[in-house]
Amino acid sequence: MTEYYVCPGCALLCDDIEVEIEDGKVTKVNSACRKGVARMKGCSDPMECTVDDEKTDVDAAITKAADILREAKDPLIFGHGNSSSQAQQLSIDIAKRTGAYLDDTSSFCQGPIIEAILQDKLKTCTLDDIRHKADVIVFWGADPSNSHPRHLSRYSYFPRGNERQRGWEEDRTAIAIDIRKSDTAEICGQSNFYRIPMAADAEFMEALVSALSGKVPKTSFDFDKKKILQLANVLKKAKFGVICVGLGLVYSLDELEPLFILMDKLNEVSSFHLLPMVGQYNMRGFNQNLFDKTGYINRVKFDGEDNSVKHGADFSVIESLRNRSVDAALIIGSDPLSSLPLSVARYLAEIPLITIDPCRNLTATKSTVTIPCALSGVEAGGTAMRMDGVEVELKKVIDTDNLTDEEILRRIKEAI
Amino acid sequence: MGFGQFLSSPEIKLKVVTFRDVFQNTAQESSRFGEDYCKLSAVIKLDPKDIVKLSIKEGETVIVKNKSGKVVVKAEGSESEESHTGIAYMVNSPWSNALVPDETGGSGVPSFKDFEVSVQGAKGERITSLRDIF
Repeated sequence: MTEYYVCPGCALLCDDIEVEIEDGKVTKVNSACRKGVARMKGCSDPMECTVDDEKTDVDAAITKAADILREAKDPLIFGHGNSSSQAQQLSIDIAKRTGAYLDDTSSFCQGPIIEAILQDKLKTCTLDDIRHKADVIVFWGADPSNSHPRHLSRYSYFPRGNERQRGWEEDRTAIAIDIRKSDTAEICGQSNFYRIPMAADAEFMEALVSALSGKVPKTSFDFDKKKILQLANVLKKAKFGVICVGLGLVYSLDELEPLFILMDKLNEVSSFHLLPMVGQYNMRGFNQNLFDKTGYINRVKFDGEDNSVKHGADFSVIESLRNRSVDAALIIGSDPLSSLPLSVARYLAEIPLITIDPCRNLTATKSTVTIPCALSGVEAGGTAMRMDGVEVELKKVIDTDNLTDEEILRRIKEAI
Repeated sequence: MGFGQFLSSPEIKLKVVTFRDVFQNTAQESSRFGEDYCKLSAVIKLDPKDIVKLSIKEGETVIVKNKSGKVVVKAEGSESEESHTGIAYMVNSPWSNALVPDETGGSGVPSFKDFEVSVQGAKGERITSLRDIF
């Protein structure tokens, strides 16, 4: 019987992956997208175990990492998007014990949307619901053809679902709302592409709510009213609608209120769900794990003495680095020197820095301690959460000498 | 050395929107330090009219800078059929992040997809390497 594996390339966590192994290495990956294939085959720059740029063994690196965290007054623990849920739980434990700032990529990404979903402020659904039921799919500020290459083929547009047997040709309408004609917008077609100006998403939502209420939709940028009315008409007729929210939309909204109003209106006239297009494979898992323990999804600071927890923008990775309020950092499953604004990330190079990752990355080049870990979903198992909140078990494909992220954090925790 | 060497290159102000590209992302998975990752990241996509304004040809390098930083990247014409003069696209990478302002208005979220830069022909200057960024 064919063994299927789970791809840790993004938060779709595709579970239909076949692999071929030769000499203990993954040589072929079938079914995955090109990004997933590259992730599962492993990088060409594996992380080395180092302290102060000198190669060392993992015991010495763990001891040094524990020393740094113990001695720091206000350490930052950041990353977690590419870490198993088990490792994330240990990160939370270490943050509690060391009175650390704790944050993840959602802090400057899909955080507000996930928070609203976990607080039941937005109606959501699973990817399987979308595959089987969705007839109107809106990609708003999202370009899954590049960010989640199998989104359209496995779930949202092309498949023949239980209630969508005629697939994309007749049973589904895909709509793109974006500031540029993305590859996904090309697939949706010119008549289903709504090109709006930069930062005009809230105003376009307002116009759409007007159209859904039978009023004339007006915009300051003179968007064709007839086209907005046509869009409202398609949305009204949806039996199972979904808005896939991309970063383009998240970054454009100063607050979520316009989205709440639109979703309320859509659910008055039809049935609409919202799906956050989460990037890293277990970002949503981190949000859920922290939410279960603290009631917050990210941006927390623990008080080492009385176990209280503070939350807010001041405790976000960006503000804590910008304000230089942290004095050491542990980075796991992330590369902030690559993904944060450089002026913010530079401060990381000035403080004792620990990086845990399977691959050498930019953050590693500035780190005091680097510890290689097993690649989850390939060299280790573990649990992760898909973008829709469904838990998925990752399977180990091949062996490695590297410890898992979970084991490394457990040993750091013990050493502290 | 041509006559153009002695002329000052026109400088224009543009807004930058960052985006994701699966090919660049794949290169990143293989190696952040590889040639492919640099080649696919250190690029700015411009409207053809803006390329004319800059007096450059597609494929030449340009200096992109603002208060946050400065990088030299390759200028390409965007494939977009619709005009987007005044707006340029950069793939999300350390090159674009060198230009993202750190101000967040207290929100903790920088403007990754909406920031201003000035662009000028780089007269053959080489693309900023990853090492040079840091």
